[in-house]
Amino acid sequence: MSPWLRLIVYLVAAPVVGGVLSGWDRRVSARMQSRRGPPILQPFYDVLKLWQKQNLANHPSQNYYVLFFFLLVVFTGALFFAGSDLLLVIFALTTASIFFVLGAYKASSPYSFIGAERELIQIMAYEPMVLLTAIGMYMVTKTFYIGGIANHGGLLVLALPGVFLGFVFALEIKFRKSPFDLSSSHHAHQELVRGITTEFSGRTLALIEVAHWYETVFLLGWVYLFFASSPVLGVVMALGVYVFVVLVDNVFARLKWQAALGSAWAVTAVLGFGNIVVLSLQR
Amino acid sequence: MARTIIPFGPQHPVLPEPIHLDLVVEDEKVIEARPSIGFVHRGLEKLVEKKDFLDFVYVAERICGICSFIHGQTYCQAVEAIMDIPVPPRANYLRTVWGELSRIHSHLLWLGLMADGMGFESLFMHSWRVRERVLNIIEATTGGRVIFGSCKIGGVRRDMDAGAVRDTLSELEIIERDTREITKVFIHDNSVKKRLGGVGVLSRQEALDFGCVGPVLRASGVAQDMRKLGYAAYQDLPVEPVTRTDGDSYARCAVRCDEIFQSITLIRQALDKLPPGEIAVKVTGNPKGEVIMRTEQPRGEVVYCVKANGARNLQRFRVRTPTFANLPAMLKLLQGCDLADVPVLVLTIDPCISCTER
Amino acid sequence: MKPEQTLEEIPLAGLLEGVGAMRAKGGRMVQICATALPGQFELTYSFDFDGRLASLRVQLPASDPRVPSIASIYACAFLYENEMHDLFNIKVEGMALDFHGNLYNTTVKYAFGDTKAPAAKPQAAAVPSVA
Repeated sequence: MSPWLRLIVYLVAAPVVGGVLSGWDRRVSARMQSRRGPPILQPFYDVLKLWQKQNLANHPSQNYYVLFFFLLVVFTGALFFAGSDLLLVIFALTTASIFFVLGAYKASSPYSFIGAERELIQIMAYEPMVLLTAIGMYMVTKTFYIGGIANHGGLLVLALPGVFLGFVFALEIKFRKSPFDLSSSHHAHQELVRGITTEFSGRTLALIEVAHWYETVFLLGWVYLFFASSPVLGVVMALGVYVFVVLVDNVFARLKWQAALGSAWAVTAVLGFGNIVVLSLQR
Repeated sequence: MARTIIPFGPQHPVLPEPIHLDLVVEDEKVIEARPSIGFVHRGLEKLVEKKDFLDFVYVAERICGICSFIHGQTYCQAVEAIMDIPVPPRANYLRTVWGELSRIHSHLLWLGLMADGMGFESLFMHSWRVRERVLNIIEATTGGRVIFGSCKIGGVRRDMDAGAVRDTLSELEIIERDTREITKVFIHDNSVKKRLGGVGVLSRQEALDFGCVGPVLRASGVAQDMRKLGYAAYQDLPVEPVTRTDGDSYARCAVRCDEIFQSITLIRQALDKLPPGEIAVKVTGNPKGEVIMRTEQPRGEVVYCVKANGARNLQRFRVRTPTFANLPAMLKLLQGCDLADVPVLVLTIDPCISCTER
Repeated sequence: MKPEQTLEEIPLAGLLEGVGAMRAKGGRMVQICATALPGQFELTYSFDFDGRLASLRVQLPASDPRVPSIASIYACAFLYENEMHDLFNIKVEGMALDFHGNLYNTTVKYAFGDTKAPAAKPQAAAVPSVA
């Protein structure tokens, strides 16, 4: 498939796949809790409903930050699926997150303020591991280009088991799943109401939701990279990681930020950094 | 970050009850918590001057939507004490059974809310699933689910036949099994321990000084349980208060977990010994005199002051609910805590604000 | 069954002393109950001694009722004292935490402050009214 074709497929299919995954997440979570759960398509109904709602905002400008957040997330995924530079992808993703945080700061409500602060802490927690993942992939494949990494002959995970586990840990934070749903929990039952997204409504909130779908697909695409030489295994593992994330979400209480940051860095240091050290010693 | 005030309530998803706290925070440290209540003050205590004392049971039951039965029971006991009405033993036993069922469902409700407060959603759902079974028993035996109005002055309104006793006992088996599974998580899960352990420590002396009651007091090592006073059937069914000594949120959680099993045992014993006979006696005359009646609610000691002067309506009816006594301790615990611990600390006393507002 | 409890009438001047003695004996503050009676208020301070209930009672005149706060002895009394103030218009002097009438925001100020129930009402008044 040519990069352009992949790009178009991504732009069209990612929200559909992401939405279905999200609906499926809610269904599986419900079953884990002995509930029936909503229909698989519920996330789409939610977004459509949000789209029709009145747009209320403290400051109209807060919505532009979210628009940029959305565009940057889509752009990040586009870079990724077009086979661009992995480092560029990481920084584009960080920029997207920063726009989200800025939007929450702009909303000037104590809930979204503290949510934004916690989001920054979360970015700090997962970012080192994400960078180490890129470095680890470079050390094995000798390229930062995703196209090159994907066409590398062997299974990356065999050389990078520690990095892979660390990356899954980082995903847990990135997806804002329990125990790392500090900045904005899925159910608004926390001290910050809904933290960073408290003050967004209507279409803006719908946009945040769709951005998360794009993000989900792109991050699972990254999981796929670890198994790129065997496409079937890659897809299975990407879905497997998603199931794992949902499972973890259901068996943990929410951690406090100190514990979240500490554990994330400990995992990064031991699994991620340890793996890289071993790799460099092998050479 | 400079000082900010984070409003908590009166409408807040963690605690859907009308209490408002102004949390003065610096970064994520709570410097001070300023409370205000009084959003839903209903003046039920004043209503006693207008209602017939026999009908007032219904009002007393509506003080709270969770521990409703024991409110009605306490009111009845207070009036019975003033009028010297001998309550038939069977009625006393049935009151005990329904009271303990209320305790189980209240504790399960609390466990669920606590799990939700610390972001453990699946545990929350499972706790409430078990609670549903308790409500089913109550519905099967009384016809109501939460406010079931089966207490009246002089006895109870409904009897339990042998079939109902058998069904209740077999349903209790399932409840006990499921509760065991849930409480295992509350007691042993690491992430729960991390969130509850060492959070909101109240020493034995502090708990007494703040006038705490119920599980809050018992978790700090004070073995006080009003059921030891021997009202209803508790004179025949010995109750040993469940205590812990750590005084933190984890200890309070453990006390409530153990109390569920204690209640299950008490119900079994009560149904086992259920004496035959009448379930109510006829009430004649008007009350004259006064009494302070105390019983053990799921949340702790409830105090009813009832004063009557021989008319159809009482002169004074005053309820000191357990939450009212535990609020000062909660405010103290909130000072200097982490913002992330606020839901845990607010829930740890099992607040029932509409109870408190009466 | 009548629960075991004692009730001691004391003069208002001896209130702090009496409450202090309860504290010295290790009593747990249980409640303060105010009752509006014709022409006077009656305050009941109850303490628990490991299951045994002991109460002190003082009488206040209905006009300009004032009572000293027991906050220096039992700090947790502030809720009861604010309640007395907000519902009965009893002035409590020296409260640890004074809500200035904002603990209960009732539509009718001091709603419990007077009583329409005179001693021993006739039977006819017993008909329950919805108002």
